[in-house]
Amino acid sequence: MLIELKDVNKTYNNGQPLHVLKGINLSIDKGEFVSIMGASGSGKSTLLNILGILDNYDTGEYYIDGRLIKGLTEKQAADYRNRLIGFIFQSFNLISFKTAVENVELPLFYQGVSRARRHQMAMEYLDRLGLADWAGHYPNEMSGGQKQRVAIARALITGPKILLADEPTGALDSKTSEEVMQLLSKLNREDGVTIIVVTHESGVANCTDKIVHIKDGIIGRIEDNRAHNASAFGTATIMK
Amino acid sequence: MKFDIDSFREIADALVRNKSRSLLTGFGVFWGIFMLLFMVGGGAGLKQVIGSNFEGFATNTAIMISSQTTKPWKGFKEGRYWSLTYTDVDRLKLMMPELETVTPVISSWGTSIIRGKDSYSGSYKGVYADYVKIEEPQLKYGRYINETDVLQERKVCVIGKRVYNNLFPEGGDPCGSFIRVGPAYYQVIGVDFSDGNISISGRTSESVTVPLPVAQKILNRGATVDLLCVTGRSGVRMTDQEPRIRQVIARQHLFDPSDKQALFIINTEQLFTLIDNLFTGVNFLIWLVGLGTILAGVIGVSNIMMVTVKERTTEIGIRRAIGATPRDILSQIILESISLTLVAGSFGIVFAVQLLRLLETIVNSMPDSAGASFQIGFWTAVLAALLLTALGVVAGLAPASRAMAIKPVDAMRDE
Repeated sequence: MLIELKDVNKTYNNGQPLHVLKGINLSIDKGEFVSIMGASGSGKSTLLNILGILDNYDTGEYYIDGRLIKGLTEKQAADYRNRLIGFIFQSFNLISFKTAVENVELPLFYQGVSRARRHQMAMEYLDRLGLADWAGHYPNEMSGGQKQRVAIARALITGPKILLADEPTGALDSKTSEEVMQLLSKLNREDGVTIIVVTHESGVANCTDKIVHIKDGIIGRIEDNRAHNASAFGTATIMK
Repeated sequence: MKFDIDSFREIADALVRNKSRSLLTGFGVFWGIFMLLFMVGGGAGLKQVIGSNFEGFATNTAIMISSQTTKPWKGFKEGRYWSLTYTDVDRLKLMMPELETVTPVISSWGTSIIRGKDSYSGSYKGVYADYVKIEEPQLKYGRYINETDVLQERKVCVIGKRVYNNLFPEGGDPCGSFIRVGPAYYQVIGVDFSDGNISISGRTSESVTVPLPVAQKILNRGATVDLLCVTGRSGVRMTDQEPRIRQVIARQHLFDPSDKQALFIINTEQLFTLIDNLFTGVNFLIWLVGLGTILAGVIGVSNIMMVTVKERTTEIGIRRAIGATPRDILSQIILESISLTLVAGSFGIVFAVQLLRLLETIVNSMPDSAGASFQIGFWTAVLAALLLTALGVVAGLAPASRAMAIKPVDAMRDE
């Protein structure tokens, strides 16, 4: 198993204690394309933060590729995030004063990869995502779809074991959403990238092979969706 | 630590993105370092200008002048006049081995000095050959009064710079020519170009110096002298010798040894100490004000970096999410802070150096200038640059620690 969560609990202590995750058990294998679905407040974002080592959990165990992720120093956590995980965010989260290629280079900069090498790699990835011509443009000169593809290139450049996408289509129109989802499934199919998408859109979830439903901090149903017919209204297109 | 050309480009970008903000913040640091260096240079120059007034003057010298007594003593009433005499010279020499030189001066002011149709009004001084121990002449031509001149009572004279310029407007070596001072003619044997502003019976540059016995006879002065100049042997402090000098003189002339006004003693050591103290004070103020101004500027930098960090919370969060360690963030913020401080400060250093150069040119182009140096030293500038770097680090500490505390999750939420 690539990802293994055993009885993971998380409580926020902001004034009133809020028990967000109530014993999550989840296994995700290498090469899977999984979506985590749930209403807002269901704890799906918290789960994503824990999966992405952006946040700590209180009790339980979390393994990536057999490595226990617990009680890490900031430096270790940063290193794991850098090498094991690629992030795709709803609001793209590109750095606005850096060009597309500079944004893609950034994770390699923190790995200490030489300037020429990381520029070359960033160009390769942009080229693969069809953005080679846009390498010198700033995020505000690009469309939403282009920005998300830059973000995907940035997530992929370190060769991560897991690609975490938090509402990757949340800020996109339906046509672009579909393109992005197709791109993700293509990456999953052709390159064998393990992808976890967090979403509340059934259409988005329908693009994935496995749908994990989370409700009130507990994993509900795990749906096998290899046939891609989970959603009654999302069979043909991504519904908005 | 990850560090290459892009780190610098990033810093430059960050500073240039908020041009006016960086400029205004940098100005505080610029002005601070400029003020400090300019005042340090200016202060040192001023000290030299003032110091040049004492040029050629022995630092261990005391000058004695007799005056009315102010206390009754041994049956005499106060308010009695008395005079220093030649015997006092011998007495001091005999009784005080600590003194190296004891030499009298007699003088008269406002004497007309004439050569052909040129004339000048200066002072007329009679000295012994050992007067050079008190006031070092800077002879442009010829020689000073010597023992033989004194013994043979030769009518020879050494003239000051201004006297020379007025009487010999054509320039050249005046030695051998004759000038008239008061009633008598003297042969010029030397020209003293020393330019100090301390005047013992008139400035050297405006006086004619002759052998003492000659002046004594010309001025009909008998046994009295106007001044006694003494220097201490090396290692002897004049201030310590003063009471004993007073005792020796007072016993002979029958006045109260504690009567400080009867015998007026000017002690150059005290004078120099006074000026040294003055400049210590001035320097203290310079550093206080200068460092204070820099500090104000640096606090400005720190403040603006705080704002920057706050503004860039999301960006820092993104960086953290994609693998920047807290240390990477720390070094980024600190380096930005150093860069801002150092760049602004370097302009300040350059500006201060240029302005000091201008000041030096102006002061030294004035007549009577002794060529003071206002410029700060190279190492002072290097030290200033190092100081700026250190201050940049200090200014960056608080904002950097705030930046380090940013969790990627918080930053995402900020959106």
